[in-house]
Amino acid sequence: MQDRGIWFWAIILPIIFTVLFISVFTSGLNETESRQVILSIVPGYTVMFVFFIMISMAESLLKDQKIGMVARIASTPLSNHFYLLGKWIPYMYIVFIQIVILLLFGKAVYDVPMEQPLLLMMLAIFLTFMVTGIGLALSVMVKTTNMGIALTQVIALGGALLGGLWVPVDMMPEFLQAVSRFMPQYWAHQGFQDAMAGTLKMADFMKVSLVLLGIGVAGFILALLRPKQ
Amino acid sequence: MTRLLTLNGIYKNYGKKTVLSNISLQVSKGICLGLVGPNGAGKSTLIKIIASIIQDYRGELRFSDSVRIGYVPQDISLEETVSAKDNLQFFGRLYGLSGKALKERISEVLKEIGLEKREKDKVQTFSGGMKRRLNIGCAILHEPDLIIMDEPTVGIDPQSRQHIFQMVDRFREAGKTIIYASHYMEEIERLCDEAAFIDHGKIVENGTIQQILQKHAVPSIFVKGGNALPDKINEFGSVAAKNGGYIVQTNRPLDAMEFVLQFYKEKNDQLERLELVQPILEDVFFSLTGKELRD
Repeated sequence: MQDRGIWFWAIILPIIFTVLFISVFTSGLNETESRQVILSIVPGYTVMFVFFIMISMAESLLKDQKIGMVARIASTPLSNHFYLLGKWIPYMYIVFIQIVILLLFGKAVYDVPMEQPLLLMMLAIFLTFMVTGIGLALSVMVKTTNMGIALTQVIALGGALLGGLWVPVDMMPEFLQAVSRFMPQYWAHQGFQDAMAGTLKMADFMKVSLVLLGIGVAGFILALLRPKQ
Repeated sequence: MTRLLTLNGIYKNYGKKTVLSNISLQVSKGICLGLVGPNGAGKSTLIKIIASIIQDYRGELRFSDSVRIGYVPQDISLEETVSAKDNLQFFGRLYGLSGKALKERISEVLKEIGLEKREKDKVQTFSGGMKRRLNIGCAILHEPDLIIMDEPTVGIDPQSRQHIFQMVDRFREAGKTIIYASHYMEEIERLCDEAAFIDHGKIVENGTIQQILQKHAVPSIFVKGGNALPDKINEFGSVAAKNGGYIVQTNRPLDAMEFVLQFYKEKNDQLERLELVQPILEDVFFSLTGKELRD
């Protein structure tokens, strides 16, 4: 929270990218086609940029290790999983606020639909849980900030590319379409798009939610498996 | 004396590297034990094992009964963007304190560490000495029975160092047991009853300071005068130039002094200084661990 730069790349940078890419990809398109592009880019870039929180999470944990805070806390009665929860929860707030602001920006500026607001809200919570869960696992595994930045970029940009955030999945070759099903970004993007358009069925919502929650839980378990030191 | 802590055959490896090898040590209640050794000797690892931070080791670590531990890390492990009071509150809560009890302890600790007037200031505005004192304060909120201090006086001014010494004295008066790791031998001599020397992951010597000095330190005399000492002085022991004079390490210091006196008398020359030098722990440290630079 002390790092004010976080608000630049969590809010301002995604907004700049969203505006730029919408203006590029909608030029020369008719109204209906433009609406489709906007409906893909707004949630797509939201999903892509939330992943960059992992850099801040890794930095925070590395700083704790560097100044001996992890060792000091390990000497107190606080258990390892409560320490990790303490590191996790503040970033959940940040990511959730980030998602809400980016979607509201899409609504205010491009009038994107939000036909199923309750499901959208729940998906935002699950996406928050998932991305910060992966962030936590990454944080305990990396040994340097540079390693954290590099892996975040692989996960965020690689997942964005393969998950259909940049190019619609149905325009990809068939084998890449199969690969995209393994990307959490794909599920989050599909869920958001459908909930915004009002076409998200309960079965699909459950499927997307389970994928996002499952990955988040897996991240936390992976983080817990690492020893205190 | 009642035993507080027993370490029996402790081994710790990092990968293929053995950091601690067959460490056995007993710590009695109410004493201050100095932990001494060169960089990389294994002091901090041993301290972290005692403080339950490292749990994957081999061997036995046994406390005589339920012991509250306060760990003062070598690094200044504080959140610098918030106040001293906020740091104390955070650690107090981690130790299970709350409400009035926490408030009272924070107030007592702030007084103890001499920061009561700076409680609301952000830690990043503090001097090195103030941070070190707060670093200690965060470890004593829960009134621990055993206080483990890892190099608590690194990089601070003499006033803060003196303040920390006085704090350690007060802990001892209050019956606390202290494990004090330091590179500074004069601190160990000043504060500790016992010392354990660690090198290459092994305890190479331990006992009371007096016992260790008697066992290892060779008495010496210091001579300063107008003349070079005659070769015959070498019969008493080793001679080395120091501070414009000579240090003669000898097991017969009185005979050596008599010889020097006689020599200057015969020469009818002025002897500036002739004194018996008290053996110090630093000499023992070098004799046990050598003078080679360590990584």
